[in-house]
Amino acid sequence: MGAGGLGCPAAIALADAGLERLVLADDDCVEESNLHRQILFDDDDVGRDKLEAAEQRLYERGAFPGSVELVRTRFLPDNARLLARSVDVVVEGSDNFATKFLAADACHLERTPVVHGAAVRWTATIWAVAAEGAPCYRCLFEDVPQGDAPNCAEAGVFGPVVGLAGALMADLALRVLSGGAPFGALFSYSGKTDALRAVEVAPRADCALCSARARIGEIDELRYTAPSCSA
Amino acid sequence: MEVTVRIPTPLRTLTGGEEAVKASGETVRQVIEQLEKNHPGMRDRLMDEKGVRRFVNIYVGDEDIRFLDGLETKLKGGEELSIVPAIAGG
Repeated sequence: MGAGGLGCPAAIALADAGLERLVLADDDCVEESNLHRQILFDDDDVGRDKLEAAEQRLYERGAFPGSVELVRTRFLPDNARLLARSVDVVVEGSDNFATKFLAADACHLERTPVVHGAAVRWTATIWAVAAEGAPCYRCLFEDVPQGDAPNCAEAGVFGPVVGLAGALMADLALRVLSGGAPFGALFSYSGKTDALRAVEVAPRADCALCSARARIGEIDELRYTAPSCSA
Repeated sequence: MEVTVRIPTPLRTLTGGEEAVKASGETVRQVIEQLEKNHPGMRDRLMDEKGVRRFVNIYVGDEDIRFLDGLETKLKGGEELSIVPAIAGG
């Protein structure tokens, strides 16, 4: 999800791992401000459709023939469950909270594992949620932040940190596919100290998505409203 | 009870860029109050009228305070508190 700063390195690592099917979902074009961190693209790609450029670059690198599928859309309330259902694991590299929560909900409802990643300035967080769902993204961050949560448009994103986070997301995705993923471990990376820390997240007893008292049983678009990142 | 508080990148504007600061208190709540004195604005970034903001997690060592005693979690001194906010970007 998202051929951006996280999605590009993740896609390279997953394609190079020899996956027979890699689905890329995005609807943006390449912008000059993307180039410092979206490593599938270069100057000549500015203005091009991201998916087209990404597909070309992945095949040039040796992606398994016919393995790259393109879905020219964002993850939206009306397609989220279908997209989640169509794959074995979702690698969620979106740049806004609304989409992160939407992906979390859709993947949980479809029992699809998901690897979430995010990066702002020097910090990145990565973690994997199992098909059975607990702990889930809503156990960690209950609901879409409104207004005063940090976002990359204000804080900026540092290319190498995003690259490392994307690679770690691919690592977790491959471990999900092969077994042995550290579900529930929230990894935080600091590009200033090069410290990678892990804390265990426990299921939230009153989680709206995955607890016995869950209240989210379907995708309701009113639940997902937050600004996206324009950086 | 002095503890080390690890400050996430988005909040370091309040600590002059420091990624870890010392603070004292017998509970997490008291530590946050001292953080507010030393770094005005911190409390509002971490808490609202209901308690810890729902897109912020606070850990004592590796333990989420939600699974301890929340803001009343007692501290022995020497612990490391980590603030983990939700972030989106990439």
